[in-house]
Amino acid sequence: MAIFDTQVVVIGGGATGTGILRDLSLRGIKGILVEQCDLAHGTSSRFHGLLHSGARYAVKDPEAARECLEENMILRRIAPNCVENTGGFFIQLPGDDPGYADKWIAACTEVGIEIEEADVRNLLKCSPALNKRIIRAFKVMDRTVDGFRLIRANVNAARRRGGRVMTYSRVTAIHQSGGSVTGVELTNMLTGEKSLIGCQMAVNASGPWIGEVAALVGLEVNVIKDKGTLIAFNHRLTNQVLNRLRPPGDGDIFVPHGAITILGTTSIAVDDPGDTRPECREVLDLIEIGRQMVPELEKCRLIRAFAGVRPLYQQTTAVSGRLVSRNFALLDHRQLDGLDGLISIVGGKFSTFRLMAERTVDLVARRLGVNAPCRTAREPLTNPVPKGALKRGIKVLGLSVAQRAAKRLGDDFAEVVRQAGHDPQKRRIFCECELVSLGEIEHVARDGDCFTLGDVRRKTRMGMGTCQGTFCCYRTLGALSKYPRFVVGDRLFLTDFLRNRWKGITPVLWGQQLREAQLSLGIYFTIFGLERMK
Amino acid sequence: MMCRDFDLAIIGAGLSGLIAAAKAAEMGKKVLLLAKGMGVVELSTGCIDLWGYCLEQPEEVCRRPVDEIARMVGINREHPYAKVQDVLEESMRFFQRVCSDNGCHYLENKGDNWLLPTAFGTVRPTYLVPASMAVRSLFKAKSVLVVGFKELKDFYPEMLVRNLKKSGEFDPGCHMKTAITGVGGGELTPNALASRLEQPDILTGVISRVRNFLSPGSLVLFPPVLGDRRDTGVALKLARGLECPVYEVSNIPPALPGQRLLKTLLHYLKVIGVEVIMGCKATGAEISGGHCLRLDAEGAGGSIKIRSRAFVLATGSFLGGGLEARPGYACETVFNLPVKAIEGNWWDKDFFNKDGHPFSKFGIVVNDRLQPVDGVGRVLVENLMVVGASLAGCNYPVEKCGGGVAVATGYKAGKLAGEVGR
Repeated sequence: MAIFDTQVVVIGGGATGTGILRDLSLRGIKGILVEQCDLAHGTSSRFHGLLHSGARYAVKDPEAARECLEENMILRRIAPNCVENTGGFFIQLPGDDPGYADKWIAACTEVGIEIEEADVRNLLKCSPALNKRIIRAFKVMDRTVDGFRLIRANVNAARRRGGRVMTYSRVTAIHQSGGSVTGVELTNMLTGEKSLIGCQMAVNASGPWIGEVAALVGLEVNVIKDKGTLIAFNHRLTNQVLNRLRPPGDGDIFVPHGAITILGTTSIAVDDPGDTRPECREVLDLIEIGRQMVPELEKCRLIRAFAGVRPLYQQTTAVSGRLVSRNFALLDHRQLDGLDGLISIVGGKFSTFRLMAERTVDLVARRLGVNAPCRTAREPLTNPVPKGALKRGIKVLGLSVAQRAAKRLGDDFAEVVRQAGHDPQKRRIFCECELVSLGEIEHVARDGDCFTLGDVRRKTRMGMGTCQGTFCCYRTLGALSKYPRFVVGDRLFLTDFLRNRWKGITPVLWGQQLREAQLSLGIYFTIFGLERMK
Repeated sequence: MMCRDFDLAIIGAGLSGLIAAAKAAEMGKKVLLLAKGMGVVELSTGCIDLWGYCLEQPEEVCRRPVDEIARMVGINREHPYAKVQDVLEESMRFFQRVCSDNGCHYLENKGDNWLLPTAFGTVRPTYLVPASMAVRSLFKAKSVLVVGFKELKDFYPEMLVRNLKKSGEFDPGCHMKTAITGVGGGELTPNALASRLEQPDILTGVISRVRNFLSPGSLVLFPPVLGDRRDTGVALKLARGLECPVYEVSNIPPALPGQRLLKTLLHYLKVIGVEVIMGCKATGAEISGGHCLRLDAEGAGGSIKIRSRAFVLATGSFLGGGLEARPGYACETVFNLPVKAIEGNWWDKDFFNKDGHPFSKFGIVVNDRLQPVDGVGRVLVENLMVVGASLAGCNYPVEKCGGGVAVATGYKAGKLAGEVGR
């Protein structure tokens, strides 16, 4: 059994966990993050990618709204290549309670959220897809954020200062002695091997799995597991985030990302934190509600549906779903349960992950007697890609590939361009939908935490476009033959990848996506006969 | 506006439509083939899959596909093969003759399925194959060399070899090797590469480089890019130059064997005087008293009205554009014929489910004369026949029968139309 030693083990590789790892390393505290699957496989990549202005929560939850507002400003500053400054609108439609608008304006003013009433005619000119019968519209400072990218940026920043990450490592036991945590036992989900990390403290940042982790030491942490389904359209339907000006509900947020638009979400309580299967019924409901804002929605091509499980924290079990606070809670199990060295960070939102990490590490530092202050709000998380590097990239990769790659890769962009400059093979486009080059794929494949085609996908967006991996996963696997990790089981790699993609395609299986599915069957059943491969 | 008269008007340029046109024209009919696009033939392997696996043991490759189909239609009367059993073997012979007469030889394996390697390293059963793909006794080879091109992005010899080894069918002494060669230049599409390989000096260069990798008794596998003409001259020249058998394996599109098949059939239609209009979408039809009187179509040049004694619907399934799906229902796009679908989920949760997915079987129900019928078997349009992937009841991704159904139903429709007035 491999044995490691560190000060703090962070459990969970989502936004909060990786944020904590970065914060720890900036304060000079040694940390290892352990994650049961790949980074960002859970809730942190299964949301609409909206960086809230705070306006959505102003009426119901002013404290959450204030936190959103502040974090929005901070992230924009520290992570420019992960955040797009789209702006957003709140839109009141016929039938929406006009009284709510007044309440909302007052609440936003109270919190300090900047809102500006927009001229409806102008708005309709700029966003022709919108319902022509809009009554009022307000501009807010919503932005969009790429969860995958932000999490990688957190990890890169932590690694530069000695932070470590172990993916596909599930916590199977938390060891304690004399009322204190002494270590964490891990099982590798790919190999079954066990390992042990000796530590002084463990932070449970496992999102919807938080109860499962706490149960390892016999504790109970009560989270509501609230599934939210979203759908991705193959069009940029709007240039700004669109919110409905009414109490938050299903299907009332449109978020543009690159060439696609995400519409969400639903809200359904589930038992299993891994229950991320979107249902066709939810998709149809979303379209029905979304049509009120964007009437032509039915005719737009869908790419897929996906779902994430929100971990909503509550101390009592009397309320559920959207009535539960989007606020977070820091649970010190020494105070609550007499177990020293275990902290749980529960609830919250993607938008406020940095603040959650700061509060958590404040407590960790106090316990460890470390005085260093939090620097995560000031220290840049990623640096803008220098103009010279972008220019060189455009020369080597072409304009559209270079622009997309620069955003995805951030600080690593210059290196990928340098290698592609030497080797023309690396300039080949492997994912034509998302414009991912072989150079970019190899760059992440060499990375220590890349084990499956799904990992390559999350790190590059390979296979996320309209073909949903039909062409690119085959060629990616072929090109990765030189990496021993990728030659152990071609069948398994391909079938796992395509099965996972299928999960999000089936709820939208009509129109163009059904054609695409038939092409996919033609390739993997008819041409390759993969379904019977031994 | 143009108005034209024909004996037979076929909508769709997929395999079934092309075969229907060839057969009817051979029988002296005035035939029009009208299509929106090039169909899916060029996306295919270029092989004709007839029936892949045993009925009782779906993992076992079936050794007598024609007999297996005869048994299958005894059980499953809804399968398209049940409507064309009378012409099944005849249609295969017709297909072979037409292709051979036009320079693209198709071989059968004495009534057995061929077991051919794919670019992924799997082996797949198929029935009629172009000469350039007809690997005989793959598993008896003493040595296999897989050759890739550095200009080509979609072919990986190492992946092919490591998976082929896993098939477990090879002689343990069989030696498998890979080689990468090139024709010069940067990245090439399969078509551009195939066109380069038609140039004698380039081919000679490839032969001299690949020679160095050969061991005695080698069998050489190439990606499906050996020439962009109808014939398989490049594969033959390679085999002669390398002095060993040379074959193309099936791969994801674009691949040349499917394109060659399309070229061959289109060439033949031209020879026998079929009028072919491409880039023209059938938009609707006038039906009166159970007869289709007129077909309306629109293309870049404007709209046309087509009168014909008989019509063939060969527009394919969802991929081909013959069927369209909206949430909860599917429709047919030209005649608005009823589509046999199912209630409930159209798909299985597992993409790789060995029974496939229900939507594959969606389509138009027909009688033994390929006329569309309603739920109680009444003919909906007297002078219309439906062929190929538009038909209901065929699970071709799993059964491996897409090509066979297209050829047999297309042939029968062409023959029935040809017999009218005789």
